[in-house]
Amino acid sequence: MSAVLRQSGAWPARIAVFAYPLAFILFPLAAFLAYSFFWTEHGTMSYALTLGNYQRFFTDPVFLPVLWQTCVLCFEVAILTILAGYPVAYFLAGLKGRKRYVLLMLMLVPLLMSYVIKIYAIRSILGGNGVLNRTLIWLGVIDDPLTFFVFNLNAVLLTLTVLLIPFAVLPIFLSLERIPRNLIDASADLGASAAQTFLRVILPLSLPGVVTALTFVFVLAIGDFLTPQMVGGQSGFTFGRIIYSQFGTAFNWPFGAALSVILAIMVIGAIAIGTVFGRDRSAGR
Amino acid sequence: MTTERLLLELKAVSKSFGQTEVLQRIDLAVRDGEFITILGPSGSGKTTILRMIGGFESPSSGEILLDGADISALPINKRPFNTVFQDYALFPHMTVAANVGYGLKVRGVKNAEIETRVGEALQLVALRDFAGRFPAQLSGGQRQRVALARAIICRPRLILLDEPLAALDVELRRQMQSFLKDIQREIKTTFLFVTHDQEEAIAMADRICVMNSGHIQQLGSAHEVYYRPASEFVARFFGDNNLVEGRLGPSSGDRRRIETPLGALVCAIDGQPHLAAAPEGAAAYAVFRPEALSLASTGSSEENRAHGLVTGLHFAGAHTLTSIRAGGHEPVNLRLRLPSKVEGVALRAGEAADLYWRPSECRLVLK
Repeated sequence: MSAVLRQSGAWPARIAVFAYPLAFILFPLAAFLAYSFFWTEHGTMSYALTLGNYQRFFTDPVFLPVLWQTCVLCFEVAILTILAGYPVAYFLAGLKGRKRYVLLMLMLVPLLMSYVIKIYAIRSILGGNGVLNRTLIWLGVIDDPLTFFVFNLNAVLLTLTVLLIPFAVLPIFLSLERIPRNLIDASADLGASAAQTFLRVILPLSLPGVVTALTFVFVLAIGDFLTPQMVGGQSGFTFGRIIYSQFGTAFNWPFGAALSVILAIMVIGAIAIGTVFGRDRSAGR
Repeated sequence: MTTERLLLELKAVSKSFGQTEVLQRIDLAVRDGEFITILGPSGSGKTTILRMIGGFESPSSGEILLDGADISALPINKRPFNTVFQDYALFPHMTVAANVGYGLKVRGVKNAEIETRVGEALQLVALRDFAGRFPAQLSGGQRQRVALARAIICRPRLILLDEPLAALDVELRRQMQSFLKDIQREIKTTFLFVTHDQEEAIAMADRICVMNSGHIQQLGSAHEVYYRPASEFVARFFGDNNLVEGRLGPSSGDRRRIETPLGALVCAIDGQPHLAAAPEGAAAYAVFRPEALSLASTGSSEENRAHGLVTGLHFAGAHTLTSIRAGGHEPVNLRLRLPSKVEGVALRAGEAADLYWRPSECRLVLK
């Protein structure tokens, strides 16, 4: 890309490369940052600068616990997607030839579907009259439908996990695929069993992929408000929903913007931590 | 240290990948303590032999015997062999010490003993001070030595080396050749070394197994394969050999005549009974090395001789390769290697030259 640009030497193209992210990413972010220092009263915006929104976030007993709870939830989601995604990635990376990519594509098919439809589908599985409960009743495990799975934080956890598994599989698959075959041969050659080879060679070398997956899923989960909104019910309250309600129901854009800025800082922090831990130590000099 | 005791035997081993037959009924016996080199061009099946011995591939048919017992079904990690891989295959996330100690670690050897033995192994390859480094921080030659230390630390019966010097530059490769040879003498372990480089094979091996397209062409000492090629392929594979086509004439004792465009040549056939048995008139080549040709006669009546015109001189450092067109109506191009001198060699292009070479330096291969 840069080579093409250098070759053509076209200034409009060069400017566009910087202008697009500037216009569509940096400017909205800056707008949010600016809004977070304004305030509203009875639905009227006041453009006088204030730190009141941030003050409210740190002093009101509601917000910090919800943020903490959301972080824990998203971390759990990330862990669950990795536990579910690692075996899938391992299986895919072990396949040979075309089969590997066909199956990988199949696994990614759900990403092409509408997010809302997927949530509805999962809700119909988890719901009181859903497939899961009916099966359990049919099997005689329970007598009445369980309400454990729907309209609470458990439902949010399960739904987010199912939705985000592909995002965990991909980076892990890529890191497994990059491990040279002859390292595995060398390990066996030196007397290691298959389990030892996995624990001492494959797993450590795939850790950067695992950390990327962890960061990826955490960031996607923490920014999600649709899933908790649809399957969370009354008790499944997350930080994303609070932000959503500030822009929607409460019509308090400045406060919503302040909460968004705080969330953005959390996300940047998570990515930074992921970068530090995911760094390929072996390549370092 | 080479004994006549056999360590490993391949018996009628064949290997096919799909429709392609890579090895065809290979018989090979490796002696205990020897440095044996498998030499061949790429695609000759040499690496496949190594990979089957190591357990990375299993033979399509035939047996692999260790001390007389079939090990074909033994998994890689149960075979008492260790491999030095072509690109070293060092674990990038482990230090040099952890790489070298890996084989002991997975066998459950105690940490204190691992530490001692890693120290000894690193001492042997002169990398003691590098124990804490990562492979990415080492040069090619150092990585090579780590790979070697990692292979010898488990005291295997056999060390397999898969073109380990291919990635090194010429000077470093020479150093590593003598280094490997020294280590092999010191630890008295059998080395099976795969390479496509003739000079490397000659410089290192006790015995050379020359392979081409899935067959063993010749198995013998470096001296044997160099001076007494068993086939046209081997004769052409080792450098600038002169091959002159002709028909076999009568034999007498250790000598046999061959009728060629250069006239009748006398060739030595000692140790090659199949050449004495070949029928008269059979197509064959007289083979003689470019350095065997001399410009001066020794006066012996048995001496082979040829007369020709110098067509080119190629200065190549220590020696000068000279092309000569010899023979009458069916000219033959001969190559003559002369030691270079500062004032140039005794021949000029366009001059006539008489060449002489002894029957003992002229061998036969059947066409």
